[in-house]
Amino acid sequence: MTLLDFARGPALEASLFIFVAGVIWRCVGTLLLPWRLVRVEPRKGASSPWVAALKGVLVKLWPYDTFAKSGVVQFVNGYIFHAGFAVVFLLFAPHILFIKGVTGLSWPSLPNNVIMMIGVVTAASLVVALVFRVTSPVLRLISRVDDYISWFLTFLPVATGLMAAAHLGLRYETLLSLHILSFCALLVWFPFGKLMHAFLFAFSRAVTGVRMGQRGAAI
Amino acid sequence: MTAKTTAAGVPYDAQGDMSDADRRSAAMRGFLHEFGAVAAAHLETCVRCGMCANACHFYVATKNPDYTPINKLRPFEQAYNRHAGPFAPIFRLLGIAPKVTVTELEEWERLIYDACTLCGRCTLACPMGIDIAELIKEARHGMYKAGLVPDRLQLMDRTARAWGSPATPADDFADIIREAGEQHGIEMNVDLEKADYLVTVAPAELTDHTKALADIARILNKIGASWTYHSEGFEASNIGYINGDIELQKAMTLRLIETAKKIGAHTLILPECGHAYGAARWEAGRWYDGKLPTRIIHMTEFLQETVISGKVKLNPINCTVSFHDPCQLVRRGGVRQAPRDVLKALGTELKELENHGDLAWCCGGGGGVVSNTRADPIRFKAFQIKQREVEDAGAERFVTACGQCRITLTQGAKHFKWDRKVESLLELVADNLAD
Amino acid sequence: MATPLLNPPAPGRTLGESLQQRGVSRRALLKYAAYLGGLMAMPASTTQAFAEGLASARRQSVIWLSFQECTGCTESVTRPFSPTFESMIFDLISLDYHETLQTASGEAAEEARLKAMADNKGKYIVVVEGAIPAKDGGIYSTIAGQTNLDMLRDTVKDALAVVAVGTCASFGGIPKANPNPTGAGPASDFVTAKPVIAIPGCPPIAEAMAGTIAYMISFGKLPELDQRGRPKAFYGETIHDRCYRRPFYERGQFADSFDDEGARRGYCLYKVGCKGPVTYNSCATLKWNGGVSFPIQSGHGCLGCSEPDFWDQGGFYRPLSASLHNLGLPLAAAGVAGVALGAGAAWTARRHLASRGQDVATPEGKKP
Repeated sequence: MTLLDFARGPALEASLFIFVAGVIWRCVGTLLLPWRLVRVEPRKGASSPWVAALKGVLVKLWPYDTFAKSGVVQFVNGYIFHAGFAVVFLLFAPHILFIKGVTGLSWPSLPNNVIMMIGVVTAASLVVALVFRVTSPVLRLISRVDDYISWFLTFLPVATGLMAAAHLGLRYETLLSLHILSFCALLVWFPFGKLMHAFLFAFSRAVTGVRMGQRGAAI
Repeated sequence: MTAKTTAAGVPYDAQGDMSDADRRSAAMRGFLHEFGAVAAAHLETCVRCGMCANACHFYVATKNPDYTPINKLRPFEQAYNRHAGPFAPIFRLLGIAPKVTVTELEEWERLIYDACTLCGRCTLACPMGIDIAELIKEARHGMYKAGLVPDRLQLMDRTARAWGSPATPADDFADIIREAGEQHGIEMNVDLEKADYLVTVAPAELTDHTKALADIARILNKIGASWTYHSEGFEASNIGYINGDIELQKAMTLRLIETAKKIGAHTLILPECGHAYGAARWEAGRWYDGKLPTRIIHMTEFLQETVISGKVKLNPINCTVSFHDPCQLVRRGGVRQAPRDVLKALGTELKELENHGDLAWCCGGGGGVVSNTRADPIRFKAFQIKQREVEDAGAERFVTACGQCRITLTQGAKHFKWDRKVESLLELVADNLAD
Repeated sequence: MATPLLNPPAPGRTLGESLQQRGVSRRALLKYAAYLGGLMAMPASTTQAFAEGLASARRQSVIWLSFQECTGCTESVTRPFSPTFESMIFDLISLDYHETLQTASGEAAEEARLKAMADNKGKYIVVVEGAIPAKDGGIYSTIAGQTNLDMLRDTVKDALAVVAVGTCASFGGIPKANPNPTGAGPASDFVTAKPVIAIPGCPPIAEAMAGTIAYMISFGKLPELDQRGRPKAFYGETIHDRCYRRPFYERGQFADSFDDEGARRGYCLYKVGCKGPVTYNSCATLKWNGGVSFPIQSGHGCLGCSEPDFWDQGGFYRPLSASLHNLGLPLAAAGVAGVALGAGAAWTARRHLASRGQDVATPEGKKP
């Protein structure tokens, strides 16, 4: 079995299994804890909990002006990363074919050079994020091993993807194998670190939206 | 005094004679009592972006990374990961989430009590919607159980447990009311058997600002309302809510509401106090299954509905004014428009502070911080943020709607020899009633 | 009896002399050398040396063994596209044993093989076509009562080098495909003491075979090989990197299915399973049938036939970026596992919290 066969075969299967099982485990394990909702008589005219929950999820898409003043660079960089990663992952034809193989869904793709450009920008934004993390006294204090592992395992697929596309350093099929294996590593780590915020953020925002929405307070 | 220092030189207070092990497990019991799906949703989602730091007046004023809001929750979160998280059994097995030590709890006392006013600005800043302020309030439950509370706050707690109020024994309450009435020439009602409005107070009104006791009476008399103060239910500020003493919080809340029920009051008026509103309006539902037996409103809401309804007319003041938004009333309470309506009705021109309304900076004294003298140094530093904003707004008068904010800002002004008077919205209305 | 040839060279004569005798001029030989050299990207300055090497060489003894094969490789290298050039390969070598092409059969054929081995001890090239079954002592393919395994081992003992022609001999090919009931393997699995060159492809391109043999004869050494033992001259680039449809891949224009709009416009065939990006061969440049076409040009994706285990890559129509395995069932199982683990974790936590998260009396034991 070549490295590529291993990557496309047992590695992808095992890591996707761990990813799906792990994500569901973490979500279910969190949601099935006792809810301990504080009973509240809502303010008259307060929006319904569902509306407040949705508002809670959406309003956080952009920081309030006063917070943007000190955090806008970091926030924008974060979006550049997320948007870039999403575009590269979801709009590159070979990736869409991978997703189609797993889910049956597919959609149109972007040309390769556009993907490459966005991939480079994504990699750069990751480096910027790391620089923030290691230079800010606040981030140095609160960061954990999880943050660095998550960064590395997110950076690796982007970097190896670019290297494979550019035939940089090793034979193409080796680079392709490393790219797929780096994605497998990301999948395996995903449920256990902070990357889970991809699923849990909505729950956290929604809960706060409901809590404050009941009071007619700022969300 | 029980003031101590950890091996690393971090000051802390400890009450009671529990062993370290007992303190630790009491704290854990308290923490675990809070863990559920809601706390989990928050604790699982932090991505360590650090945006909460720049929202917190203590961090911004001192640039000490320890004051990063999410950092204040570290032992709480660690306990969650060890005991309640979805991977908890595995973490315990692999030793990944070690037990929280009593030293860590001691070191975190100052972060949970001294360096947090529960103002909730960090909650607004957090992109993940983590309600950090709420979680710190929950963490205080465990800290209280462990007897790791700042001495001053613990003292107030004991007093409130004994007297029903940190300010005065219930027995003396009626006298204080009558004296205030005599001093200001207002007819006072206290301990009536039946009344539509039950008026409650905060320690500030019983000590520094006793005029407020007469001010509300003046307005209620003017509109011909049926109202009373009552010795069985008068203390609204709720030190239990602030300290994390949930039993005391419940007792104090129930006292207010049961008294209101007893006298058939349709409305319970809370004083100009922020935490009173948070405790009575938004947490009383815990014990009444979400259905409050009486309408609970803040003094500011009462002023607004009285003024807007036209029941009272006001003499216009004709000056510029800036308003400090009490965190528990506005950001955490939802009452942002009422004070502005009242200020408008008073004929003032509002010069908003740069950060106002929901985004206003905290005065730095809430959550018990102003009573916790150990926190004075950082509280004064944080005050300067407020001072700068007021000066930049350049209004003639400076008003707020919370007695503790007033005390905090006044103390800050005195400390920095700033000649600014901090006024009360209630007093402004009471002093300018048209005949 | 020895293998009869029309005009066998007199012993002691060089290739150049025998070619001249047959009317193939020195100039034609130079042209052939230039052609092959060009294919192999040899510098123009070496063409003269290449031609002279060929001219002064003795005819190379080649013993061609046929094992688990379809004879397609033989077919490929014997196509009469350019008779002058392609037949030359058989002038360069003395094909002392080839079961399909030789006229002898039976005992006579085996004797010819053994004699060639003895006469050219240490100097003959063994070409292997087809995989070699190894299971159960190699009983699944025998010739003249001898297993392929034994025949291979005997024949290569005194060989100069081994050339595995075709993917079956190079990597195991079709016989090795799942479930590989005969325990088939490539020549390199069983030949460890001699250099093995792989000329894979199913079948290989004729020029790859011709050029490599000619190189070995002329320069007396192996051409530069990649890590799979393939001559870099023919297997140094992927189909993808030389494919004329590459611009469409880059622009994101694909055939989504056979004979759809994209297919008819000749767009990239990645989505219908082309393995071009990971297949090393010369199909995109040399093409087939004397440069007429190659699979992609005809509208079908590359099968990856010059790569190991191309039969077991999940299917010719499964795109390269898709998972090899069908994931529906495993992921459904993962979902179930996740729910079970999550519920279990929550249940454990609830019990933990219930037993440990009780309200305790205040520090001083007093109730308000």
